[in-house]
Amino acid sequence: MQASKKHTSLLIFSGSFLVLCLFLINIAVGSVHIPFNELLGALLGNPMAKTSWNTILFEYRIPKALTAIIIGISLSLSGLQMQTFFRNPLAGPYVLGISSGAGLGVAILILGGSAFGWNVANNAGNYLTWGIWGVIISGSLGAIAILLLMSLTAWKIKDSMTLLIIGLMFGSASGAIVSVLSYFGNAEDLKLFTIWSMGSLGGISGIQLYILCMVCLAGTIPVLLMVKSYNAMLMGERYAISMGVNIKTLRWTMIISTGLLAGSATAFCGPIAFIGIAVPHLARMVFRTGDHKILFPASALIGAAFLLASDAISQLPGSAETLPINVITSLFGAPLVIWLILKRNFSNEF
Amino acid sequence: MKAESTILEGKLVSIGYTKSNSTNILAESLSFQLKKGKLTCLLGPNGVGKSTLVKTILGQIPSLSGDISFLNKNINHYPAKSLAQNISVVLTDKITGGNLTVQQLVSLGRTPFTNWLGKLTPEDNKIILDALKATKTYYLKDQFISEISDGQLQKVMIARALAQDGNLIILDEPTAHLDLVNRYEIMHLLRDITQEQGKSILIVTHDLDIAIETADELWIMQCGSPLLCGTPEDLILSGGINQLLPNEQLIYDPGLGKIRPTQISSYPNIQGPDHIKQWLKLALQKNHIQLPDDLKIEIKVSPLTFNLTKNQSTQVADNIEKTIQLIQQLI
Repeated sequence: MQASKKHTSLLIFSGSFLVLCLFLINIAVGSVHIPFNELLGALLGNPMAKTSWNTILFEYRIPKALTAIIIGISLSLSGLQMQTFFRNPLAGPYVLGISSGAGLGVAILILGGSAFGWNVANNAGNYLTWGIWGVIISGSLGAIAILLLMSLTAWKIKDSMTLLIIGLMFGSASGAIVSVLSYFGNAEDLKLFTIWSMGSLGGISGIQLYILCMVCLAGTIPVLLMVKSYNAMLMGERYAISMGVNIKTLRWTMIISTGLLAGSATAFCGPIAFIGIAVPHLARMVFRTGDHKILFPASALIGAAFLLASDAISQLPGSAETLPINVITSLFGAPLVIWLILKRNFSNEF
Repeated sequence: MKAESTILEGKLVSIGYTKSNSTNILAESLSFQLKKGKLTCLLGPNGVGKSTLVKTILGQIPSLSGDISFLNKNINHYPAKSLAQNISVVLTDKITGGNLTVQQLVSLGRTPFTNWLGKLTPEDNKIILDALKATKTYYLKDQFISEISDGQLQKVMIARALAQDGNLIILDEPTAHLDLVNRYEIMHLLRDITQEQGKSILIVTHDLDIAIETADELWIMQCGSPLLCGTPEDLILSGGINQLLPNEQLIYDPGLGKIRPTQISSYPNIQGPDHIKQWLKLALQKNHIQLPDDLKIEIKVSPLTFNLTKNQSTQVADNIEKTIQLIQQLI
């Protein structure tokens, strides 16, 4: 027991160190080459050789890296909550349909633009200044709308499995409306929406980053309060009830927490695939525990590290092009998880 | 004095489910007293409402009428946490928390007592270790629960219920799908727990033989009848135990200590020691063989032989299988 505790703190420590390293690597790569010693100097407060580097570093790369950390944490934490609450290894942040709601909001904004007579982007396909805010706000409104619908449902029904299925149905229904909008949308809008739906960590800075950070912090607090209940849920709902866990409270905090975490992540950065489902499994396999006191921080660390690394790779070092983040998370993440699953007996881990 | 020795009492309880305007009553007017520090087995056919009764006792579904009181206080007046501190359960639900070690699983039993983070105090740890030792699962404590056998897991689940350290433990079919040795071990383990730690235990089971052997008290539940309570011995002698066997063709034989068909052929033509005759009769019954009057069987011990005599000719078999074959040829 003592040995495994030491083992865990070592893993947590090296995880934090890994996140720090990946953060540095992440801000070091990009289309403009900035020497590494200049970069470290700038972080310690020294002026940089070129002012343009300063702008790139502080107004683009660091906000993007911080966004990657926040989104990585948000999606992993909501995924872990969903998997434990529903006792389903395939559950992820998207099962309650909240992200699909965000997608629907953004689709109405972008694809409905021509119908309602507004433009979120100029002819070159870059967002107008209000466009980014518009996307964030419409995404949030969509997520909140689905969250309210889900809450109404959760109030009526008692069974968790039914909740899961209804969440998936809300997701499909939103997806169908998005399809209708896409069908009638014009080509430029469609491209803009497709790019949004591939996820992007860039473009969030200043006040937006601050808001994202606050919302995610607010979404993390319920997780911390419910650690003990999530551990009891490992044995299933009926045992949890027999140990004094109030399943209603747990369900509401779970809905609110994932609503805030996954909803804001999707509204700000688009639906980022893979992290929410895979990272909790990675955390379980690496830390070999079911204890949520360890799993929550572990998932947060792995999620942050994973998204920082993916983002660094998506910069295609040495090239001016960047790939969409979703491509990287799935392309590199899927083989990693397959390898882990084959190496360990996965069905025993969950 | 009587009030003190009863831990759980039900007065004219009706159980069942309410579903939008219609109520489905499973059983009515159940009255029971669960005795403190005793092992009680609840027996009854499938679908009679045993699990529903357990859920009602746990306060998970409301009773349709009547009162259930735990330590002289209505069960519904207990807050969830304090009920969890008093009653723990072992359910039939499959446990899939693959990444938990045995010790972590047992530690979960302390959930109602720990702070919001679930931090275990040295006292909690002592209770957990005691529970592991009492169930003889201490040696498993660092194994993952996916790596242990069903029988071991069931003992660990009992350890977890013990660690929850209430006065009453309720187990729903703890020995179903276990092998014979594990069944006996678990029931005797539970019996030891009542006797050494003074806990009260209620077990829902279908294992009549083991229940009779280990329980202090039986509750027999049958459709349309009130709950029949009493010591197994008294229920056997009074014939009350036959309430479990609504079928007229089966009866509990107090002499044999097991269930047998009501109509039993006496086979007067067989002669020999009773303990061998009994098994030959069983074999005959299974094969639906009626012995004709002129066929006589004599059993001899050392060496064991079965002499079949018909029309003055005698044939000899040295085991029951051959005997049955010979009889089938003769008739």
